[in-house]
Amino acid sequence: MIATIAKQEWRLLKADRTLIAVVLLMATLVGYSLYNGSSWVAFQRQTLAAAEAEQGERMLKLKGILVAIEEGRMEPKGFQDPRSAGAIGGTSAAPYLAMPPAPLATLAIGQSDLYPYYFKLNLRSKQAILANDEIENPTNLLAGRFDLAFVLVYLFPLLVLALGYNMISAEREQGTLLLALSQPITMSQLVTGKVLLRGGLLLGLVIGFTLIGALVTGVDLSLPTVWMRLALWIGMMTLYTGFWFGLAILVNGYGTSSATNALSLAGCWLGLVLVLPSVANLIATGMYPVPSRVEMVQAMRTAGKEAQTKGSVLLSRYMEDHPELMPGGEKPQADFASLSYAVQMEVDKKVQPILDHFEEQVDRQQSFVDGFRYLSPAILAQSAINDLAGTSLGRYKHFSRQVDGFFEAWQSYFLPKVFSKVKLNSKDVAGFPVYGYQEETDGEILGRVGVVLAGMLVLSGLVLVVAYGRLKRVSVAA
Amino acid sequence: MILHIAKKEMLEMRQDGRFQIAAAIVMTLLCVSLGIGWQQYVSINRQHEQARAETRDQWLTQGKKNPHSAAHYGVYAFKPKSPLSLVDRGADNYTGVAVWLEAHKQNEFKYKPARDANTLARFGDLTASSVLQLLIPLLVILMSFSAFAGEREQGTLRLVLSMGVPRPTLAMGKALGIAGGLGMLLVPAAIVGSAALVLASDTGSFVANLPRLGWMTLSYLLYFVAFIGISLTVSALAKSARLALVCLLGFWIFNGLAAPRIFSDLSRTVYRTPSSFAFSQRMDADLKKGFDENGLKKKLLAQYKVATIEELPINYAGISLKAGEDHGNEIYDKQYGELWDTFEAQNRLQQQGGLVAPLMAIRSVSMGLSGTDFAQFRDFSVAAEKYRRLFIDVLNADITRAPKTETAHMGDDKLWASVPAFEYSSPDVGIVLSQQTWSLGLLALWALLASLAAGWAATQRLRAE
Repeated sequence: MIATIAKQEWRLLKADRTLIAVVLLMATLVGYSLYNGSSWVAFQRQTLAAAEAEQGERMLKLKGILVAIEEGRMEPKGFQDPRSAGAIGGTSAAPYLAMPPAPLATLAIGQSDLYPYYFKLNLRSKQAILANDEIENPTNLLAGRFDLAFVLVYLFPLLVLALGYNMISAEREQGTLLLALSQPITMSQLVTGKVLLRGGLLLGLVIGFTLIGALVTGVDLSLPTVWMRLALWIGMMTLYTGFWFGLAILVNGYGTSSATNALSLAGCWLGLVLVLPSVANLIATGMYPVPSRVEMVQAMRTAGKEAQTKGSVLLSRYMEDHPELMPGGEKPQADFASLSYAVQMEVDKKVQPILDHFEEQVDRQQSFVDGFRYLSPAILAQSAINDLAGTSLGRYKHFSRQVDGFFEAWQSYFLPKVFSKVKLNSKDVAGFPVYGYQEETDGEILGRVGVVLAGMLVLSGLVLVVAYGRLKRVSVAA
Repeated sequence: MILHIAKKEMLEMRQDGRFQIAAAIVMTLLCVSLGIGWQQYVSINRQHEQARAETRDQWLTQGKKNPHSAAHYGVYAFKPKSPLSLVDRGADNYTGVAVWLEAHKQNEFKYKPARDANTLARFGDLTASSVLQLLIPLLVILMSFSAFAGEREQGTLRLVLSMGVPRPTLAMGKALGIAGGLGMLLVPAAIVGSAALVLASDTGSFVANLPRLGWMTLSYLLYFVAFIGISLTVSALAKSARLALVCLLGFWIFNGLAAPRIFSDLSRTVYRTPSSFAFSQRMDADLKKGFDENGLKKKLLAQYKVATIEELPINYAGISLKAGEDHGNEIYDKQYGELWDTFEAQNRLQQQGGLVAPLMAIRSVSMGLSGTDFAQFRDFSVAAEKYRRLFIDVLNADITRAPKTETAHMGDDKLWASVPAFEYSSPDVGIVLSQQTWSLGLLALWALLASLAAGWAATQRLRAE
């Protein structure tokens, strides 16, 4: 029976110009947004490639210099000995630590334009590394990007509502509802037939166009993670579509006119997609305010000034803690490099609690938001899409933890050599710590997105159950 | 007669439950966002003022050290928060808040507040400006989509017209009614907003900000008039109230959600932003070339008529440092100048987007008058850089004067105090207006054309059924 209704609906849609309009609109939106996504990914890839090339050249040059000095073809000269651990670890061998775009990065620009996707390492201060940013016009950051996530989260529900707001009301207004229901079908069957066709059509179009777009922009389908992510994405889109159709059925179930339905649904969309997230953000920032970073800057300065005055004390203390650096038991030599590193380490130690406070406040905000998001399918959809595309805050944190870890490894390789004034040679280069980005495991992604999908399932299920309940009581006559 | 119609419209609105709920929500959001904006302004402003005093104190009490070490120690400049940012935070969250002013180098502003935000921040910051730019137009649409189309469907339009009410009168009455309804909301909100501004600023800066506030009010009024005009036009032309609503909502979505993104994409395509990597590579390459040290020496020897550098009556170290700074400054002016010109070209193109989406115009004007747009960020950056050059110059001049017999020249508290404190005042409202001519013009044009269109549609095109 439902199939008959769906078939009838299909005929009606085809006869109408709606179908062609929906197809064209969807193709344009998906195409344009994927183009934007892929040009951002291409920009990042180019930048990373240029950085890698520069690093390669730099390493070659360093090796050349080291070999030349060892063979006596060159005299070490200049402000810093090129063989010193400070010069090598601080600049000439300092690598770029990158987080390459994930396989489905074209699907959502997400937070990736806000957070850096690579850092240039130094030996001195983690803070200085992390403070770097990609250049961008602040007005553009404010506007956000027209990416697929924007289309799916904001605009797609509107298409759903446009196709669903008058499912019953139009039939009633045209007088065909009584006629249809005089056949041996129930209201629920009638609505199900309509929803299945319209929903299937929209979902089919958006998934189809996205997959085509993904293939065109060069998504590598040979990776198993791509299949998992795509499957989760399709599941998420199905539930999201279900939620909005559920809402349309619910509003239709009140028996009001098409114009009233349109107004009510527009109000729901506005509330769930625009107002609720803003209000949640307001509450989160109000409850857990993050202080201005100037406070941190000042704390760093104060700590720096204090540490500076007792630089030699700090250096001796460090040396006492690391007697292996002074095997002869001689007094540490307070040269410029050792002193400045000793000072910097003290500053980092002093500032750490303040940095932790920043992170804690942001984490508190985020966990409030993570709880709150179950009230708005739009927030849920957004976070799932960003996680699947690898442009979420979660992945950035995963990356910055690796940066932390590597920075420590780098420091513990080079700093002792700075303090013991060991000169490095060309054979040491092969032993430098090597960075490689470790992608999040499929399990981690599944975990994060799974909860979101479960939340969405509950929301959509609730709305659909209530809506179908409502249908039993809807009036048939105009 | 016009007043009668307007009164009837307002009465209907007051009795309409939907309008009441929508209006109550919008009012609440507006007041809450003003309150939060005020609270944020006060707390951030306090932190910045304190930091400003501290950084000056650290500079003054750094003790005896070589002036060039002091130049490397440098000072920090903190971007001040403008009082009107409580209305419109603009690009504030996306620009860094602090810049380190040190020897040899023009640094970038660091620490964008947006990087310390939760993931919802990008959904939209709830500020008074977002309520005024997005939600009030929606309310206008809600109030007016059925103004003509709805009355036609109910058959009351034919009745009114048959009573001999002239169509222009009817149109004016409707427009006034909607404006009156809006006024009932906006006048109290404006009072709340002004009160917040008074609380946020001392009397002096409040008075100084009055012209900005006045222009802002005018711009928002033009924006609302444009929306009333557009809505009435569509309502008069549309076959049904439903169609009018769909068209207007479509325009609202394009105007508020799609246009800012589309124009920012477009501006980026037309004027390319370099990557941070490419930018710093270019800068480093230019800086590496260095200045002509031999030429400088020759010039000095000729100027003082001596044979060797050691015979110079001045200290060469200071001269060389200054020459290095001058060389760097030229490069910074060029590189940062180009980058910022690119951003400004992008922003101009986005302003021109106001031709099709009035939001692009009002957003630009509102940010500009609030002092939270890129142009005023640039103004502050330039002032901070100017200050950097000034204090580095003072220090290098001291090194130049230092007797060469001294083994380690030291600066003292007197030298540090001879560097004036960094003072900044935001640009005059006249300068802001000159940057916003395009947008202001476009807003006026929208308001005018939309009103004319509404008048035309109501008189020429309005069918009774």
